[in-house]
Amino acid sequence: MRQRFLVGVGTLMMVAAALVIVSRQSGAQQPTTGAPAVAAIDSSSLKGPRQPIFFRHDIHVGQKQMACQYCHYSAGVSNEPGIPSMQTCMGCHYLMVNGSTPANVVEIKKLKTAWNTRKPVEWVRVHMVARHVHFPHSVHLKGLGPQACATCHGNVARMPQVYKVNNVNNMGFCISCHLERKVSRDCTVCHY
Amino acid sequence: MADQNRSEGVDRRQFLKVLGTTGAGAAVLGGCSTDRVAKLVPYMVQSEDQVPGIATWYASTCSECNSGCGLHVKTREGRPIKLEGNPEHPVNAGRLCSRGQAGLQALYNPDRLAGPMAKNAAGKWDEIKWDDAIARLAAKIGAAHGELAVINGYAASTFSTMLTKWTTALGGVITNFEPFSREAERLANQKTWGRTDLPVYDFAAAKYIVSFGADFLETWGSVVEQQRGFAASHGFHDGGMSRAVFVGPRMSLTAANADEWLNVPAGSETLVALAMAHVVATKHGHARAASLSAYAPEQVAGDTGLTAAQITVLAEAFAAAAPSLAVAGGVGAQHRGSIELCHAVNLLNEVAGNIGKTVTFGSAPAMSEGDGRIQPLFDRMAKGEFQVVLVHDANPLYTLPRSGKFAEAFAKVPFKVSTAAVLDETAAACDLILPNLHGLERWDDQNTRSGVTGMMQPVVEPVRGGMHTGDVLLKVAKVVGGAVASFNAPSFEAHLKGEWQKNIKAIDFATAMCEALGRGGIFAASTPNEQPRAAAGAVSYTKPTFDGAGDYVFMPYPSMLYHDGRGANKPWLLENPDPITKITWQSWVEVHPDTAAKLDVREGEIVELTSPHGKLRAQVYVYAGVRPDTLAMPLGLGHTEYGRYAKGRGVNPLDLLGAADGQGFLPYVATRVSVARTGDYQKVARVDGTPRQLGRGIIQSMPVAYAAKGMTPEESYKAAGRPTAETNTELERTAIEGWHEKQIAASQLGNYADAPHPKWGMAVDLSRCTGCSACVTACYAENNIPTVGEEQVFRRREMSWLRIERYWEGGTDGEPLQARFAPVMCQHCDNAPCEPVCPVYAAYHTPDGLNGQVYNRCVGTRYCSNNCPFKVRYFNWLKYNETAWPEPLNLQLNPDVVTRSRGVMEKCTFCIQRIRGAQHTARLEDRDVRDGEVVTACQQGCPSGAITFGNVKDAAAEVVQWKRDHRGYVMLEETNVRPAVTYLAKVLNIEPAAFHGAEEH
Repeated sequence: MRQRFLVGVGTLMMVAAALVIVSRQSGAQQPTTGAPAVAAIDSSSLKGPRQPIFFRHDIHVGQKQMACQYCHYSAGVSNEPGIPSMQTCMGCHYLMVNGSTPANVVEIKKLKTAWNTRKPVEWVRVHMVARHVHFPHSVHLKGLGPQACATCHGNVARMPQVYKVNNVNNMGFCISCHLERKVSRDCTVCHY
Repeated sequence: MADQNRSEGVDRRQFLKVLGTTGAGAAVLGGCSTDRVAKLVPYMVQSEDQVPGIATWYASTCSECNSGCGLHVKTREGRPIKLEGNPEHPVNAGRLCSRGQAGLQALYNPDRLAGPMAKNAAGKWDEIKWDDAIARLAAKIGAAHGELAVINGYAASTFSTMLTKWTTALGGVITNFEPFSREAERLANQKTWGRTDLPVYDFAAAKYIVSFGADFLETWGSVVEQQRGFAASHGFHDGGMSRAVFVGPRMSLTAANADEWLNVPAGSETLVALAMAHVVATKHGHARAASLSAYAPEQVAGDTGLTAAQITVLAEAFAAAAPSLAVAGGVGAQHRGSIELCHAVNLLNEVAGNIGKTVTFGSAPAMSEGDGRIQPLFDRMAKGEFQVVLVHDANPLYTLPRSGKFAEAFAKVPFKVSTAAVLDETAAACDLILPNLHGLERWDDQNTRSGVTGMMQPVVEPVRGGMHTGDVLLKVAKVVGGAVASFNAPSFEAHLKGEWQKNIKAIDFATAMCEALGRGGIFAASTPNEQPRAAAGAVSYTKPTFDGAGDYVFMPYPSMLYHDGRGANKPWLLENPDPITKITWQSWVEVHPDTAAKLDVREGEIVELTSPHGKLRAQVYVYAGVRPDTLAMPLGLGHTEYGRYAKGRGVNPLDLLGAADGQGFLPYVATRVSVARTGDYQKVARVDGTPRQLGRGIIQSMPVAYAAKGMTPEESYKAAGRPTAETNTELERTAIEGWHEKQIAASQLGNYADAPHPKWGMAVDLSRCTGCSACVTACYAENNIPTVGEEQVFRRREMSWLRIERYWEGGTDGEPLQARFAPVMCQHCDNAPCEPVCPVYAAYHTPDGLNGQVYNRCVGTRYCSNNCPFKVRYFNWLKYNETAWPEPLNLQLNPDVVTRSRGVMEKCTFCIQRIRGAQHTARLEDRDVRDGEVVTACQQGCPSGAITFGNVKDAAAEVVQWKRDHRGYVMLEETNVRPAVTYLAKVLNIEPAAFHGAEEH
């Protein structure tokens, strides 16, 4: 994880340096990107559970084009997708404290506070399958290729707040996909 | 809830919807799941070796006994979930016994103390802070002025060395104490060779093994190592096997695995050994022959109950098989003549030329002092010579006989301190308890033999609020100063690493230490082999004396599950049946059937045993494997403290014994008892069914001569003149064959027709299986099997997916009693009777040949169990998943396997989570699963290597080689269920004429 942190910080410094150079050369202010200006307090009106920090998947994945597995790194190697450690967030936000809107700055400040007080953010779980189901993320990523994540989780790149697109805890949802792709429908593939 | 919400203008449906989507707090999800909506709490900084969902393995060393087996600790998300053997470790080579595996339940024991405690004036316990606890201890030690006694039960280690130096520096005395410490053997070695260390016995090389009371498969010595060696030599291989003979008054598990049990009275084993030594020495013309001249078989046979010819034949066979091995000792042979016995056996090994071959000196297991040596310390306590006593990793007030008044002597010490993690008998008598960390929570090591340093590293955050006793010593030293001021390491970890640095001697110590930790320790490349010099030790035999005038010799023996009593607080060990009696959760007294008839007692009846030292009441178990003049009882239960599982359970046979009497060891078999009926009755928590096979051919066997000829079990029975039952006529055979083919054809329909699926199968070599039940514990650990407790066992509701079947052969009409053991798990029949009767398709056949059981589909009709000929399906009657794992015991659960609730049929899955895991790994690496990649939990744990598993479609797989063996058979073949488990018949090293398989076929 330390490597990830260092890579994150290192990349950011280079990007920041490049941006400074670019802005000086063009001599013009970078235009703000067209993210919807949603303040933290408004997120309850969006679909999906309200999270302690209004984490913007639409900004991170949609605008900044970050790969899912940059944060959810264990999805490709393990049954569990994992959630990023606070250190992973801070890898970038250690330096990147200015959000595109004042509302986003507030959210980033929450992250900083959590990091400084050593209190991890308690995210509200959105997707869950029952305990008697074993869903290996890694094998599905391998089988489904680049669009693997979206198959179940929808287009997270356009979600300001993540919500459930598909009821992943419904066996019919699993089976229809397994039928379509002609893969095993044996019970003990998932249930044990 | 609905009404409440409606009054607020929200109906129930809306309420649930809100909860379901916002997930605030703990709401209930829709659908069939009963899971709580959880918070996802990230790591602040994630450790680099932790990947969610992937197990991290750490090497460590087992501290459940002093053998020092290497561990591989499987951890998931930072908590250990299974203990397995370390394949690189020279002692156990990847295997682990039940007790070692149950070390996990010591770590997560719900009765572990939360922190230091001090006894107040009213005799109640106060929870105190660590600083306060250390200050109190330091003050008392400072004021003791050297009147300090330390009892250390921990194995030889850097810690033990430091504790010794610390105690000596303070002017105190230290006794390293272990209850079963083989003192008689060491005293005998002094007599024979003038050295008190113990040799290492090579069972693997021995061609003829004679044990004089030493239960080398149970508690005597390094059992995992010995069992591995025993399986290597006594398992049928290359057309032959070694022969094993057991001499002693009771058929222990070790005796049950021998080819012959010579049932001699307690004390007369010595005569057998001396007579054998006489024959061998005379034959070889050995220098010791003269000293043995008075012990010719003809002269001594009378006292042993054997004939002179029997002893002569045995001795000649022993001499002819080179190298051979004789072992003696153990609690079951620890009578007052035990030193003479061990000396006689030493001579037998010497005259047979086994020294340096199967008996090697130089890599001595470091042993502690035993009961005999600790008594003088208690005598000094009684005289008031100590101000402070510190007890570490020992429970002497339980393991010493009550008649010795040790508790009274202990009470004379003004300030008593224990480091027990659980309130045991000794800790309860103390004034201050400083709970130590568990072996998986601390930095430590064990030097259990020369050249082997087993390292231990913390693999989990402390589960409860303990502190490393090494750190306690350092902190106390800092306060006390003076003589112990030199103990100034910042922490025990720093001290330990400093000591390791002296041992590792590498330029880059940090890297070398990490490598050693990953390997599990520092292991010398070769083991020393010193030739001992013969000492004059005179040969003598005195008939051992017994206290009291009762009619029966009382023989307490160590339980292989509870050991010296430390196993009694672990539900896995309590529920794992004793391999011989199949009794769980209880104590019993073994009575021979003739004796039972004479006393007019039957199984379950409570009798009162009285010796000169005390009396106890215990239930009768009628057992033909104990002499009619002997009553035997397992040690380990009868605790008055030691947590919820142990306290008040069973009785302690030590209550009938006297203390050591000057020979330097505690004579366990030295009492005669009288028996009185009480008229009370106790239900016996037995898990076995009928003790006889009744011709069902469940566990088959053959004499070695036939096995060497490549006979099948059936041919062997015919050759021995034992008619095999013709179960099916030709017509019936054709009918069932045809039906079977139709069944197979039916199962090939649908999606699975052309798919290149593997087919999983298992093979079990019964000539290697000893019935030790390590596989049973491994299965409990791997598959989250709940322990149900004594009450539920009475109702036959135990959940052991894998059980050891034990059947008796002979024992009547003068035929020798023999035992048969076999692990029985779901046989995963191709033509499974459980599948067609399930109304909801919860039991069905998977394309890869497994007999699947879908818990979430099961509605609990139990038809499948009724239709199973092997009775390997277990119904979950109550919510065992809510009662079996009181916190923090639930942390041991394997997250890869779901816990089942009430109303569900469960059974062995061939460790499907391991199969799927291996398949996922192979899929990610774009390859097929390799042979040997899927290792079931039972296979992994088996100390004998009796189980193999694999894809039977892979012709090169080991399981296929085993299944092709001529000894292979399937259980209950006549039912045509086509099991996927093949058993290889047990091989007995006996003459075909003596072959006794009448009840097998």
